Amino acid sequence: MSSRRISLTAVAIGVALVQSVLPVPALAGINHGRVPQWRVEVNQIDSGGSSIAPEFRIAIYENLVTELTKSKQFSAVLRSGDRSANGVSNLLILKTTVESYTPGSETKRAVTTVTGATKLKVRNQLCTKDGQLVLERVVDGNVRFFGGNLRATHNLARNVANALKQATLPDP
Amino acid sequence: MTRTKNMCYERVSSNLLFRILRCLVPASCFAASLIAHDFDQVRTASSSPVLRARAVLGLEGVANNSMGELSIQDDVFVYSRREGPTVRMPLSEIQGAFLSQEDKQVGGMPMALGRAATPYGGGRVIGLFAHKKYDFMTLEYFDSNGGFHGTIYQLSKGQGQVLADELGAKGVHVSGLEMASAKQRLETNNVK
Repeated sequence: MSSRRISLTAVAIGVALVQSVLPVPALAGINHGRVPQWRVEVNQIDSGGSSIAPEFRIAIYENLVTELTKSKQFSAVLRSGDRSANGVSNLLILKTTVESYTPGSETKRAVTTVTGATKLKVRNQLCTKDGQLVLERVVDGNVRFFGGNLRATHNLARNVANALKQATLPDP
Repeated sequence: MTRTKNMCYERVSSNLLFRILRCLVPASCFAASLIAHDFDQVRTASSSPVLRARAVLGLEGVANNSMGELSIQDDVFVYSRREGPTVRMPLSEIQGAFLSQEDKQVGGMPMALGRAATPYGGGRVIGLFAHKKYDFMTLEYFDSNGGFHGTIYQLSKGQGQVLADELGAKGVHVSGLEMASAKQRLETNNVK
């Protein structure tokens, strides 16, 4: 009976010791359901053979950085070429290639309602630093009624952020 | 008798109100477009022109779609606003500039609502005339940490070319509509 009590006390002391020695992030998943987050580096947009205008390419990139930061899915959102990405282990790289681009017209939309839509479709790939593909999605963004043509890039970036949020990423 | 008279009076006044509103909606849209035109002024300083421009997106520390003034002072690209910080960017940081042109509806959201409220398809007719061409200047640059940035400025038609010429004269690589056509013209002249 006394030996059992002694062994239980030893186990309790052991558990307390392990908890105090192990770093907090290692236990975060067990204790609070928090998983260590990935960082993401947003690469420049690849035109992919489409005749996308430079302002659209830049607008997609900038809106992606903004929307991914807003979504708070990643612990940090880094820009393409950012030197602080060097030496980071939990880094994913977001590659975006334009698959199709249909330029629209705001005036046509205002006059006819049904024509003049700006349509964008991109292929997003999340890769690790060593090039291993983690996630691939084809996402589109359109503007059909109200707003300027560049609004399509905002819609697209929001859809990409939502698609990444819904996806299950492996632990870093 | 008086009741009938009152009802008749109410009907007449509501009809009158409806007519006044119908007249006011296009008039307010027209006024909005005139206000939009008034913003297209170019102030010329002694050395380089100061251009009114809208920072569409990508400018750090500045809200999207905020109006301001663009200028090139020595070797620095300056975007200043009446309120808020002035953004300065050395021209050496700019990797490339691209000039393009796009057609946009004038008047923004009030105009869009006015168009939607105009009866008998009048909004479509207004939309047909209430548009304007704008120049878009896209700049690509790297920050001090090596991160890639892009900013888009919207200028009135013709002002983009002025800015492109200024940037080109300072050694920034500029491409786009007019630049390409000007180069082609120069090449064909040389061949002749």
